[in-house]
Amino acid sequence: MLKKFHFNFLIIFLLLGTTSNVSLAQTDLGKWDWLLPGYAKLQFAGGIGFISGGVGYTFVNHRIDASVFYGFVPKAFSVDELHSISVQFTAKLIRVSLSENYQLLPLNFGWYLHHTFGDEYWVKLPPHYPPEYYWWSPGRNAGVFVGGELKTKWLASKTPASGIALYVRAGTRGLYLASKFGNNSIPLSDIIELGFGIAFYR
Amino acid sequence: MIWSMKTVLKIGFFLGLMLMVSCETNFDYSPYCINFNDNDKDVNLKNIGRIIDHPAHDTIQIAFTGDTHNFFDELELFVEKVNTMDAVDFVIHVGDIADFGLPQQYLWGNSLLSQLKVPYLVTIGNHDLVGNGMEAYMEMFGSLNFSFIYQGIKFVFLNTNSLEFQYNGMVPDLLWLEQQLLPSNEFDSVVFVFHLPPGMGFDPNLEEGFYQTISKNNNVIVAVHGHLHHFEMYYPTIDSIPYVNVYGVEYGMMTTIKIFNKQIYVEEIPF
Repeated sequence: MLKKFHFNFLIIFLLLGTTSNVSLAQTDLGKWDWLLPGYAKLQFAGGIGFISGGVGYTFVNHRIDASVFYGFVPKAFSVDELHSISVQFTAKLIRVSLSENYQLLPLNFGWYLHHTFGDEYWVKLPPHYPPEYYWWSPGRNAGVFVGGELKTKWLASKTPASGIALYVRAGTRGLYLASKFGNNSIPLSDIIELGFGIAFYR
Repeated sequence: MIWSMKTVLKIGFFLGLMLMVSCETNFDYSPYCINFNDNDKDVNLKNIGRIIDHPAHDTIQIAFTGDTHNFFDELELFVEKVNTMDAVDFVIHVGDIADFGLPQQYLWGNSLLSQLKVPYLVTIGNHDLVGNGMEAYMEMFGSLNFSFIYQGIKFVFLNTNSLEFQYNGMVPDLLWLEQQLLPSNEFDSVVFVFHLPPGMGFDPNLEEGFYQTISKNNNVIVAVHGHLHHFEMYYPTIDSIPYVNVYGVEYGMMTTIKIFNKQIYVEEIPF
């Protein structure tokens, strides 16, 4: 039942992404236009799923992105199938125009909250524990990342999308930082979450 | 746009990369992704095999540590010290190897313990069970309750982390424990190991039965646990079975127990 619910979520996100690409550029949806996401992303790894799909908005003169991703890890890659949602904010500090068709964003800073679904991944300490028995919550972790993005006009003439971007990111999360703190025996590379993805802009 | 051969190759390269990578690379899928290498699987069973294959002698010395939580550097110091102690036959970790129950913390803990020259066994602690820690423990170490016999001594490891199972009456599994302690001609004494002693987190309804089961057959020579981080030797039952609480690794002290002719000798050794 729960799994079905998760998959429905995934489908909704993918549909939202598709709609934003296919119909929006041409169709006039009138006063609800502003609600439609500015982009859809498909990401590999990055700590938020084997594959995750997300949509979001851009604010402040294309400097700030707010996105929501649905991610999953299939059973082939983990003992349990994992489903999660993450909310992310990205500040795109530098924009370099390479040519008419290419734009480089070499320094993006991000902050995210990652929520894993399942009873064992609680957010609030379950009532059977005494208060403050555990100080962290397995169900909701915060993390940070840095990344870069190459925006292109690929497929712009063939599809309603105004452009496609490729991006990479390297991050870590609070729980990994807490483990690394004071421990030289843990290699820094072990707490880094690498990921890359593709973005379709409206 | 017509996709050139080069583009196809590039895309193929990334697809190939995606198929090759797993959770143990830097391309993290989730902090709860469990996808261990063979070296990080069935660790307790493999080490029991190593212990049993070990040549027999009349004194057995065991080095205990535990409650390693986020003290990985201190665990490394423990490993280095034990590697200089020739008399130690094997090591027992009394639980809480993964502070947040994360698979990655299991991997860090095991990568340090696997540098021990002698075999080692890891008990399940309450922290190890948070999130999907139970699956990680079972994947890496095996059953939560387990036992083996070495030189006429039965070593029994019991999951006592009742609160993590919402005091469901099944943890600790006293029926299993009773079966394990039933006298047999294969062993004449028992070393009993668990993480969490009676008190906060231990099912209050099972406390009396727990002590009774341990004392029932008059064969437990020592009960060893962790969780409280300090060293203590105490005798909670009238039959005076010694209960030993093992130092948390952060104190730079380990507890060793020598077993000779059903007698135990407890020592505290700095590292």
